Amino acid sequence: MLYIIFYFQVHQPFRISKYKIFDIKDLVVYFDEELNKYIFNKVSERCYLPANNLFKELIEASDGRFKISFSITGTFIEQAKKYRPDVYESFLDLVKTGGVELLNETYYHSLSSIFDLNEFLEQVKEHEELIKREFGFIPTVFRNTELIYFDKLSDILLSLPQIKTVLIEGADKILKGESPLYPRISYNHAHLLLLKHYKLSDDIAFRFSDKAWDQYPLTAEKYVSWVKNLTLIEREGKNLYLNLFMDYETFGEHQWKESGIFEFIKRVIELLLKEKDIVFLLPSEVNYTLNYKPKTISVPEPTSWADIERDLSAWLSNSLQWNAMKTCYELLKKAKEKERKDLIPILKKLTTSDHFYYMCIKYFQDGDVHKYFSPYSSPEEVYRYYMNILSDIEEKLEE
Amino acid sequence: MKVLMLTWEYPPFIVGGLGVACHGLFKALAEKGIKIYMILPTQEKVFFEIFSSWEADYPTAKKWDKKHFEPVPLKFYEFHYLEPKGAYLSPQLVSIIKKWEPPKLKTKILYEIPTEVLERLNFLLSQENSLISKVRTYTENVIEISKNLDFNLIHAHDWLTYTAGLFLKKFYRIPLVTHIHATEFDRALGFGHPIIHEIEYLGLNFSDRVIAVSKYTSNIIKEHYKVSGEKIKVVYNAFLPPLEKPQKFKKFREPVILFLGRLTIQKGPGIFLEFAKKIINTYGKKVRFLIAGAGEMERHLMLEAASLGMGTQIMFTGFLTRQEVESALSMSDIVVMPSPSEPFGLVALEAMSFGCALIVSKQSGVSEIIENAYKVDFWDVEKMVNIVIDLLENPDKLKESQEKAQEEVQKFRWSDRAEEVIGIYRELVFNKACFI
Repeated sequence: MLYIIFYFQVHQPFRISKYKIFDIKDLVVYFDEELNKYIFNKVSERCYLPANNLFKELIEASDGRFKISFSITGTFIEQAKKYRPDVYESFLDLVKTGGVELLNETYYHSLSSIFDLNEFLEQVKEHEELIKREFGFIPTVFRNTELIYFDKLSDILLSLPQIKTVLIEGADKILKGESPLYPRISYNHAHLLLLKHYKLSDDIAFRFSDKAWDQYPLTAEKYVSWVKNLTLIEREGKNLYLNLFMDYETFGEHQWKESGIFEFIKRVIELLLKEKDIVFLLPSEVNYTLNYKPKTISVPEPTSWADIERDLSAWLSNSLQWNAMKTCYELLKKAKEKERKDLIPILKKLTTSDHFYYMCIKYFQDGDVHKYFSPYSSPEEVYRYYMNILSDIEEKLEE
Repeated sequence: MKVLMLTWEYPPFIVGGLGVACHGLFKALAEKGIKIYMILPTQEKVFFEIFSSWEADYPTAKKWDKKHFEPVPLKFYEFHYLEPKGAYLSPQLVSIIKKWEPPKLKTKILYEIPTEVLERLNFLLSQENSLISKVRTYTENVIEISKNLDFNLIHAHDWLTYTAGLFLKKFYRIPLVTHIHATEFDRALGFGHPIIHEIEYLGLNFSDRVIAVSKYTSNIIKEHYKVSGEKIKVVYNAFLPPLEKPQKFKKFREPVILFLGRLTIQKGPGIFLEFAKKIINTYGKKVRFLIAGAGEMERHLMLEAASLGMGTQIMFTGFLTRQEVESALSMSDIVVMPSPSEPFGLVALEAMSFGCALIVSKQSGVSEIIENAYKVDFWDVEKMVNIVIDLLENPDKLKESQEKAQEEVQKFRWSDRAEEVIGIYRELVFNKACFI
C-alpha cells in the first residue's frame, strides 16, 4: 500500500516596520501594520480562500477518503482574526469537515529550539493552547519551524508526552541514499519520524511553473505516473508513506492561479483517489498502519527544508543574523525576569524566523529566493531596522 | 561679473562634501554680487541662475531660452563615487603620460590649451564606462547650453567637470579656474583609475588658476600632478550656520560616539570600528557607537561589527538625508573622523557646530585650521582610544571641549572665502591675462 500524507504550512510573520535610529524613544510602532495587512489580503485572495474552498470540496466529495494536515502558526491566526475574519472562518470550516489534522509547532514560527529551550517549550505550549482554543483540536504530531530537526530535539520533546510523531526533511545527508518512503524512529526510540519526499514535494512547490525545467509543463497524469512508479520500490509488502510537505502559499501565491496549479492539484487528487493501492492518510494515522518496525535514524546536525543546504544557513549563516537573534533572546530573557508583560509579546514576535531569513546574504539561486520573499531592499536594511527596534526595547527594559 | 559654475553635486543632490561646499561658496559669492550660472549633470538640458542668496538655496532651472523649466524636480544621472568598473591601463596612455612634460609657463599665469589636449580628452571619454560616459554626456551638454549664456569666467569643481571646463576655455578663450575638492589619490587611497588621474592632471595643469581646499591637497597635486605652486591658491572650506541653533537630544543613556561619512576606504570607517572594538574591550562602562552613512564597505563593516556579538552597541544608520545628518550629530557626544586622506573634511565643522567633541586625523585639510580638536594620525587607534576614555572619565573636560568647538566654528565664514575667490576672479578677468 502507498499512503500519501499532505501537510501544508500556513504562516505569516509580523514584518517589522522601517524603524529608523531616530525613531528610538519616539516611536513604538515596531511592526509594519500596513504592509502586513496588504500582504495578508493579497495572499488571502490568491491562496487561502480559493485553496480552502478547493480542499473543502475535495474532502467532501471524497467521502472522507481525502485528507490533509496543516500547521498553522500563532502569528498567522492573530493576523487572520485581525485583518481577515473571513479567512479565519474558512479555516474553521475546513477543519470541521473532519478531513483535516492540525499539527503542533512553535507559536511564533521561531528558531527557539536552537537558541533557548525554555522559550521553545513555552512557544510550543502556547501553540498547543491556541489550537485547542481555536479549533478544539489536541495535536499529537509536531513539526518544528521549517522542519528543523536534530536528535536532541527528540529528547526535548519528551517533556510533551502527547507528541508521538514528528515531521522532518528527507534530506540526502541523513538518508544516505535510502528511501524517504519508510518512516523512521528517532535515535532515542521516542518518536516516529515522517520524512518529506523532497523531490515530489518540490516538483509542485518550486518547479511546477518553471519553464526552464525539463519536465515543464507538468500534467496531473505525468505526476500521478511518478507517484505510481514509487510502488515499484515496495519490498516484502511493506507499506510506503509518501510525505508531500509544502507551504500552503504554493497554491495561488508561489505558483500563480494562471499557472493552472489549482486545476493541477484537483486533478492529481481525483486521479489518485481512483487508485486501489493508494490511500490518503493523516500524519497521526501512520502509527496504526505500519506493518513493520521502522529503522532508527540519527540526525546529529540540524536539518531543515530550507535552501539547497537544508540546514540552518537560511537563518544563521552570517554574523548579522547571529547577533540579531542572540540579542533578541537575551532581551526576551531579561523581559521575563522583569516580568515586562508589555514587552514580552513583542520580543516573541521578533523571534519569528522570517526576520532572520531576510538578513540572509547567501547568493546564487537561494539568494534569489530570499530576495523574492523579502519586503526589504537588502539584508543590511532589515538588520538596521531590527537592531533599532531592539535598542528601543532595551531602553524600555531599563525603565 | 558672471561666472559659469560647473559642478556634479548641489543640494539636494549630494553624495559627499562637494555639494555642501558649492552651496556655501555660491551663496556667499551671490551675496557679494557675483552672478552665477550653474550646470549640473541633469538629464534635461538646463542651467541654474544664482543671482541672489535666496536663489543659492533654491536655484531655479532654466532652459536655453532662459524660460523657467517645468517640471521640477529634475532627473539626475545615477552616479556615485565608486571606483568605476572596467578600469585598465592602456600602453598608449602610459607612453603619453611618460613623454609629457608639465606645460611651461609662458607668462606668469597663462596656460594655452594645445589642441592635442582636447583630442586626448575626447579619446579618454570614449571609454565604455558608466561614469566616464556620463562625463562625456555632461561635457556635450555644457558646450551646448553655454552657447546661450554670457559669462566672463569658468569655475569647474572636481575632475568630473574639468573636461567641460577645458573645452569651454579653448572655445571661448576665457579664464578657467579648476577647484580641487578631492583627488583620485584620496578616493582610491593611492593610485586610482588611470583615466581619472589623467583628467585631473590635464584639468589642473591647463587651467589658469587652481583652487585647493587645503595645503594638504595642494601638496598632493604639486607632488603627483606637477602643478606649478604659483598657480595654486588654497581656499579652505567654511561653515554655513543653520537657520536654527543646533539642539542636542539624548536617545541613549550612555555616551554616543559617531562616525559620519561615506563608508569608503577614504573615510576610514574600518579604523573607527577598530577603535570601537578597543573601547569595548578596555573601557568598563557602556558606550554607544554610531556608524552613519552608506557606501560599498557597509556589508563588510556590518558583518565585522555584528561578529563581536555586542548586540546593539555598534549601530548603523544607512544613508542619511540632510535632516537626518543633523539628528545624528544632535544625539552624539564625540565625533571621530579617522580619514586616511581627507582633502578637507566638512564633517568636522558640522560636528563642531553641533557641540560635539572632535577627533580628526592629521591627514586632513581641516586639521590645518581648527584648534579645538584632537589631532591624531589616522592609524593611531591607541591614541584615539586614550583621548576618548579621558574625555568620558572627565565630563567637565568633555563639556569644555564641546563648547570650545562650537564657539570656534563660528569664525569659519563663507563670506571670507568668497572674498578670496573673488580676488582670484578679478586677477584673471581684469588682467585679461589668459589670452595670448
